[in-house]
Amino acid sequence: MTAPVLTRMTKVEVVVAGSEAPAVRELIRSVGATGFTSLSGVSGLGHHGYHQGRLLFNQQATLELIITVVPEPKAEALLAGLRPLLDASSGVMFVTETFVSRPDYFI
Amino acid sequence: MTADLDTRRARLRSDATLAARVVPTHYPLETFIAVNPLAGLESMPFEQAIRRAADLYGSRGTLGEAAFRALHAAGRITDDDLDQALRRRYPNLVAGPDLSLGGVTLSPVELLRADLLFGTGTPEAGRRFRTRAEDRAPAVAAAVDAQTAKWCAAYFGDAAWPMPGREHGFFPAWRALAPSDRSVRREVRRDLRRVPERADDAILEALSRLGVGDDARIGYLQAHLTRMPGWAAHVLWCSGRNAGVDIVDYLAMRLTYEVALLAHDRAPVASHSVDGSVTMPSARQRAAHVAAVGGLTEVGEDEIAAAARVLTALPVTAREMLWQNAFEAHYRDGLLSALDSADRPAAAEPAHTQLVSCIDTRSEGLRRHLESLGGYQTLGFAGFFAVAIRFTGLLGGAPSDLCPVLISPNHDVSENPAPGDRDAAERRLSGIARMAGAESAFHAAKESLAAPFTLAEAAGWAAAPLAAAKTLAPALSGTVRRQLRDALAPAVPTVIDLQSMPDDEQVLFGQVALTTMGLTRGFGKLVVLCAHGSSTENNPYQASLDCGACGGQAGAPNARTATAILNRPEVRAGLREAGIEIPDDTWFVAAQHDTATDRVALLDLHLVPGSHRPDIERLDRDLARAGASLAAERCAVLPGAARPRSPRRAARHVQTRSLDWAQVYPEWGLAGNAAFIVAPREVTRGIDLQRRVFLHSYDADVDTDGTALETILTAPLVVAQWINCQYYFSAVSPQVFGAGTKTIHNVVGTAGVIAGHAGDLQLGLPWQSVHDGRALLHEPMRLLAVVQAPLTRIEDIVDRNPILQRLFGNGWVALAARDDPDAPWQRWTRAGWRHWSESSSTTTVHDEEMVS
Repeated sequence: MTAPVLTRMTKVEVVVAGSEAPAVRELIRSVGATGFTSLSGVSGLGHHGYHQGRLLFNQQATLELIITVVPEPKAEALLAGLRPLLDASSGVMFVTETFVSRPDYFI
Repeated sequence: MTADLDTRRARLRSDATLAARVVPTHYPLETFIAVNPLAGLESMPFEQAIRRAADLYGSRGTLGEAAFRALHAAGRITDDDLDQALRRRYPNLVAGPDLSLGGVTLSPVELLRADLLFGTGTPEAGRRFRTRAEDRAPAVAAAVDAQTAKWCAAYFGDAAWPMPGREHGFFPAWRALAPSDRSVRREVRRDLRRVPERADDAILEALSRLGVGDDARIGYLQAHLTRMPGWAAHVLWCSGRNAGVDIVDYLAMRLTYEVALLAHDRAPVASHSVDGSVTMPSARQRAAHVAAVGGLTEVGEDEIAAAARVLTALPVTAREMLWQNAFEAHYRDGLLSALDSADRPAAAEPAHTQLVSCIDTRSEGLRRHLESLGGYQTLGFAGFFAVAIRFTGLLGGAPSDLCPVLISPNHDVSENPAPGDRDAAERRLSGIARMAGAESAFHAAKESLAAPFTLAEAAGWAAAPLAAAKTLAPALSGTVRRQLRDALAPAVPTVIDLQSMPDDEQVLFGQVALTTMGLTRGFGKLVVLCAHGSSTENNPYQASLDCGACGGQAGAPNARTATAILNRPEVRAGLREAGIEIPDDTWFVAAQHDTATDRVALLDLHLVPGSHRPDIERLDRDLARAGASLAAERCAVLPGAARPRSPRRAARHVQTRSLDWAQVYPEWGLAGNAAFIVAPREVTRGIDLQRRVFLHSYDADVDTDGTALETILTAPLVVAQWINCQYYFSAVSPQVFGAGTKTIHNVVGTAGVIAGHAGDLQLGLPWQSVHDGRALLHEPMRLLAVVQAPLTRIEDIVDRNPILQRLFGNGWVALAARDDPDAPWQRWTRAGWRHWSESSSTTTVHDEEMVS
């Protein structure tokens, strides 16, 4: 069996307050990313202390994890845009190398 | 397209997003809800935030000193309030030695109080973030604003002739049309023809031509966004809603105009001046002024110097905030003292009926009057009753999201004809369709080019007398219209379709709702879930009077949905397993309180079992009595309402008022709101809270893990704080954060209103929502949250919720709490709990000024 051919991409994961998430999603769209995955109500411990997970009647105050995968040329623009947003809030960003089997989905 | 250009565009978009954080949130008219216009500055301490807002908008952050001094003269703020506020803020200073001034001995507190009462030199607020055009050519700045208002009104308005190219989005449509606009000079039009195709590129080019570097970019964009905060706020609301416009498009238009108009401006360059940059008196001058006001003539230099050293601690710019603290403390101390001294009923007789109403401050009056009739227990809960629904009524049309804007609806719920009433429902639908068609044709004819002339001939004979009747006899006209409507489209019994909610979710809903409101035992024969809405005429701000917890809409569908769930035997069986035993003879009834008329309509009566009919009749009678008493109470402060009135006459008056299309004060909404109490009703029962307090029921004993309290503090309290801040800033800074007088409002589509025929979209509440024509009716005070629950539980909740740390820690909301009714009130501080009346242990130095 032949191993599938994989294409190198950049995965960017961002954790921000729910109220900041629309700006991050808009930025992802603006650099030409073809999609993202959002996970709301994430909890955890970080630089600003413990963050509560899901709140019953408030989706804006909890944290949201947004994941996108972009080809390298778009990654630079995305990171340049994300950096000032995160400098001004309590969010974090993780950037990793990743591989995809269907690159046309991400270009 | 190079990677470098992509990077610059992305950075610009981020900067625009960050700049827009200072823009107030604003909801369109149909779903207008109160929000904190300075929400973007909540990460700062309140005092710092209002100073930043002053720099950005030229707005006031508190009432002025003259207003505070008038309140002092009227006894609303006392010397003791001022002294306490000084002690709390400057505990070390006020404990210092007495001073001598011209032979008179006075304490540091007395000196500071004299400066508060008689000091001069408080600077006026003024914008410090300014555009190039504001500094160089104010006429150009005004022209940029005028063009902004024109194109925004064209794009967002609902005119008979839509803006050409609107379907392509705001920036492309503007870019195509602007070069043909003859209201600007030919050379400007020529420049407009060369605007880049992309909005972000247009901004980058304009900023480059204006000489604004990357480091100064956010501030400069803010200077533009705060020139016309109304339109900027509406554009921001549209972002991400497929409205074809975002903040980058909006800024691109403004900056392009600024560059083009400045380039061809022939007026001489204006001299630069910053508003509000007046010279403030030094501490020595202030000391001398106090001495002079006191008639002290023989004052030595060393005495002036000693007094000046004390006054240095209280800069002129901090005086108004100190007044604000004293103003708030007077009310807060009084409220907590009233809660302490309330007569707690030992063991109240079991209630035959429980009424759960919204936490809205207006419900407090209804609850108080109903309880006074005996046999009733009332509770407070967010008016969407924990059912976040997307509701489609019998008439169809676009569904409404009936839940707080903090969450998204999680169930689609529809209204269907009751079994056996399908034919009647058809008759109603066709009747409504006929009326809607006639109305639509009438308005279409009014707005077209030639038809108004024909319309006047054809319908003028009826329209003119109708208009006269609505003006001269609103009650009669309203009755006739209602009868006509009932004849053409008779009401029909309907039911709520719950099919979209699985049984287990319905049980979970019941458990959460009943636990959070503290109603898990002692059920009466009737439990009323009472939503609220407001009936007014010709009022673009109708939504601001409806239920904020229902997204600025009336909450009847939520109450009906919740009662339908709680009456289901399957749900009750599930609740029993969860430990909540609802007796078989308990029936949940939906109702809606009309806050303009104080009438309460009981809903879905066709579903009530025969065994409960006598109870329903008694409830209906008692609600009518309570509503009439409340109407009489409200008439005392409604402009133009004669007083004293009997409850019956008052009820008639408020009914007429709600039908009057010329009435600018149909009701007072949530004016006066000042506190949010989370406690069992026993804590407040019997106290007249004057419709100023949000009341959320809470029983700490049934919420051992704190989930319910966390929900209350992170959702209803947050919404209450928005409301509180909206009223606050509409009162202290009406020119920036208020909507001005209703009498000159013109509606722009569904976006909002403008004052007159042009200009900025108006933010916030109309002046008639906070001011009665002679004085402010709303006292602008920050919210006091009062919680009766274990202090450790509250502390844990605050610790894991940054939103609460911001609100309490930055002084946007004060938090008073006690473990139980016998414990003293404690104040939450970042350093831990303090006795309510205790001064803070550390001095906060906000500013220093030189003794010179």
